[in-house]
Amino acid sequence: MTWYLIRRAGQALAVVIGVLILTFIMIHMVPGTAARSVLGLRATASRIAIFNATYGLDQPLWRQFGSYLDQVLHGDLGTSYILQQPVSSLIAQRLPRDALLLGLSTALALLIGLPLGIYQAVRRNGVGDYLLSGVSFTLYSMPSFFFGIMLVAVFSVQLHILPPEAPQATSVGGMLADPRALVLPVLTLALINVATYSRYMRSSAIDTLAQDYLRVVRAKGLPERLVLFRHVLRNSVLPIVTIVGLTLPQVVAGAVVTEEVFNYPGMGLLFYQASTSHDFPILLGCTLIVGVAAVAGNLAADVAYGMLDPRIRHGGA
Amino acid sequence: MRFTRGPAATAATAAAVTLTLAVAACSGSGPAIGNGGGAAPKGQMERGGTVTMAWTGASPNFIFPLAPVTNTDGYNVNLVNPMWPVLVYGGDGGQSTVNPAESLYSSMTWTSNDKTVTINLKPWNWSDGTPITSRDFTFVYNMLKADVPNWNYYVPGLFPADVAGVSTPTAHTVVLNLTRSYNPAFYTEDVLSYVPLLPQHAWDKTSMTGKVGNYDETAAGARAVYAFLQKEGSDMATFTTNPLWKVVDGPWTLNSFQSNGDYSYLPNTHYSGPDKPIVSKWVNTTFTTDTAELDTLRAGGSIDVGTLPLNDIQQAGVLKSEGYSIAAEPFPGVAEIIPNLYNAQAGPLLRQLYVRQALEDLIDRPQIVSKVYHGYADPGNGPVPVQAFTQWASPLEKSGGPYPYSPSAAIGLLKSHGWKVVPGGTSTCQRPGTAASDCGAGVAGGEPLSFQLTYASGKASVDEQEAAIQSSEEQAGVRIALKSEPFNTLTGTAGTCTASSHPASTCGWQLVDFGYDPYQLYPSGTGFFNTGGYNNQGGYSSAMMDSLINATEYGSSASAFYRYEDYAAEQLPWLWLPLESDIFVYKSSLQGFTPLNPISGGLNPEVWYFTK
Repeated sequence: MTWYLIRRAGQALAVVIGVLILTFIMIHMVPGTAARSVLGLRATASRIAIFNATYGLDQPLWRQFGSYLDQVLHGDLGTSYILQQPVSSLIAQRLPRDALLLGLSTALALLIGLPLGIYQAVRRNGVGDYLLSGVSFTLYSMPSFFFGIMLVAVFSVQLHILPPEAPQATSVGGMLADPRALVLPVLTLALINVATYSRYMRSSAIDTLAQDYLRVVRAKGLPERLVLFRHVLRNSVLPIVTIVGLTLPQVVAGAVVTEEVFNYPGMGLLFYQASTSHDFPILLGCTLIVGVAAVAGNLAADVAYGMLDPRIRHGGA
Repeated sequence: MRFTRGPAATAATAAAVTLTLAVAACSGSGPAIGNGGGAAPKGQMERGGTVTMAWTGASPNFIFPLAPVTNTDGYNVNLVNPMWPVLVYGGDGGQSTVNPAESLYSSMTWTSNDKTVTINLKPWNWSDGTPITSRDFTFVYNMLKADVPNWNYYVPGLFPADVAGVSTPTAHTVVLNLTRSYNPAFYTEDVLSYVPLLPQHAWDKTSMTGKVGNYDETAAGARAVYAFLQKEGSDMATFTTNPLWKVVDGPWTLNSFQSNGDYSYLPNTHYSGPDKPIVSKWVNTTFTTDTAELDTLRAGGSIDVGTLPLNDIQQAGVLKSEGYSIAAEPFPGVAEIIPNLYNAQAGPLLRQLYVRQALEDLIDRPQIVSKVYHGYADPGNGPVPVQAFTQWASPLEKSGGPYPYSPSAAIGLLKSHGWKVVPGGTSTCQRPGTAASDCGAGVAGGEPLSFQLTYASGKASVDEQEAAIQSSEEQAGVRIALKSEPFNTLTGTAGTCTASSHPASTCGWQLVDFGYDPYQLYPSGTGFFNTGGYNNQGGYSSAMMDSLINATEYGSSASAFYRYEDYAAEQLPWLWLPLESDIFVYKSSLQGFTPLNPISGGLNPEVWYFTK
């Protein structure tokens, strides 16, 4: 297992560096220049020269990349051209907020989606199954911006029972201190994801329910509640583990639309705004973080497989 | 507040465009929403209270008033000006004029053929009780002079480069000897309106622990002080704690600041000016989008002042029922389509005045004002907005401009220059040549009258405007292909194109609409239409225009401005477009909010108050 983890960590490092190189090349292929984008198209040549010299953009590309890697290895992700703040600070401000929002919504979606999926599998083709499938598909097909705006329209504008904004505190503690403000953004993301989780769970549980070993445990007299919890849930949850593992990069990448609707400046908006303004340090910094999260999520999913299913072992196999 | 001039203005424009996502017009057919200039106060004034103002996408990040060239965040002006106002205060009530009462100077006298200006400062004090003196002016001047390219408001050739010498005969008198004669109005309203006074007695140092001295009196020392203050000015974590920023001369002092763009002020209890804050706290809060802001307004949140996007103008009724009032403010700027006179393909066409005239004749500006902006826009009759600058708009502009909408005039012009006009189709040149009745130099026989119009995406009203232009141009067989790009992409790809240098990489555009260009107090054409001007992207060059612009800046004739303005309106270095107004939403219990100051963007919270 240890050797497996070391090998996977090495692969992960290679993937992250590869992503960085690709991103670095691609952002420099975008039409226009950072100086013009930041200073404006009417910037004088002397202003552009000052800007380029300040940020090393007058150097050859390979040297710029070398400098960037050197910076990263020293824990410096550079300074945003537009926001004029260290990228690490910007990410540090936003990442916990997104982790809280997306973490809570993912947890809530799992809490609702997994039992729902099992229920639908057990009551397959029943009225409840059809009804819940309909609700799931409706939620799944609904754009998050529309769903968010609808929730605001009903609960904030019409009923005045929940605030239309997410918590505006800058710390996780401060945000948790305003739980009412978390309700709508968390619900928006969670309910849309419930459909995904419940559909996967339903499908997986239907397969599991057809297995012979369930007949055996039932024949032994195990209560149905324990059959479902101990055997069906555990054996059906593997596909969900993969999905949750793949969700990790989404958690750190943010949710642009939800952030916009609920006035919740997070990683998604940070990346989006940087992408429209040639703010290279932010683009690279965010890509690095998301890349790390992607490989970490996959690694965590693989490790979780082994823990959940003893038949799967990573000991060099 | 918006900052407007110079190379920094483009970034300011970008910021302003962001702000203008929340700029709009009103529903209906006319300005039922006004500036509120004549509205009588309702209720009894209540001292104290907190006023909360909402912004969209605002994220100020620099507190030192002399920001470096690499920092172009237009919202820094919003943060800084309430604490360190500029020498010449712009906007008097609802007028785009100098406000003598709020300005830091008591008189300004021009002598030596308008080459010397004597500025007398008011006997006002800094917040720590120290008098504001002429030394504070020389402190600013010395820093800028020592490192002038690193000031984001610097316009090559103007202050401080044009200052031959500064003397301070008294503690409250500054004498500027300039390198040339200036039009006093131009210099006062368009140059000195960018210069703040800064507390030399507190800021003339090179480190936090160092003592205050007269370091700025040498070039090296001034550079060191400037660098130190710029470094401190970028440290957002210390905006509210750094003792430097506690010394202010404006009506407000910073109380809190968060890097997400939320910040608040308390009144400067030692403010010497006439309008001392009435409310006890002014909070600025930022929203990611205008939709999020509007949702909060509609939900009856804590916002006292916000903006209303055009697309949501139908929400005005709902907002009124939530206890808000609405006011419109003409914007002091010019909206335009810039023709690229040196684009390889379209340049020869666009260099023909009659072609530009025909294009302008075909823009139905009254209809755009009425249908797209619902009546809340300047008509765009020329380079000076007639609503925001009533004192500078010429009779020609006030009467509708030289090119009222007229498809028949456009068709006549084209036919008289050898074009086969195909309404609804594509007109083509039938008589190539350079005679008066020919298509003009560089225009080939059979050449179609077609252009690509690139514009900034993201605003439905702009989409509608461009579609309307595309449609109306077809009446004379002018084909307009529309292409929208994100604003920052546009600024990154559409560069200045001139006769002497036209790099293909930034010269591929034909017609471009960036939105608008804001003015300061003096709606000068410098930089826009003069040869080689920093905003002259299309490469327009005319000796007559240069001469007329020079007369507005360096001459003394009072009528020089109208001559420049009418000539620019007629010559069409840019195609004129309507410019939409700002729509503000404010709590009905908040008085003093109107009339809106066009120059400060409606921001005068020192005169706002709640009523019982």
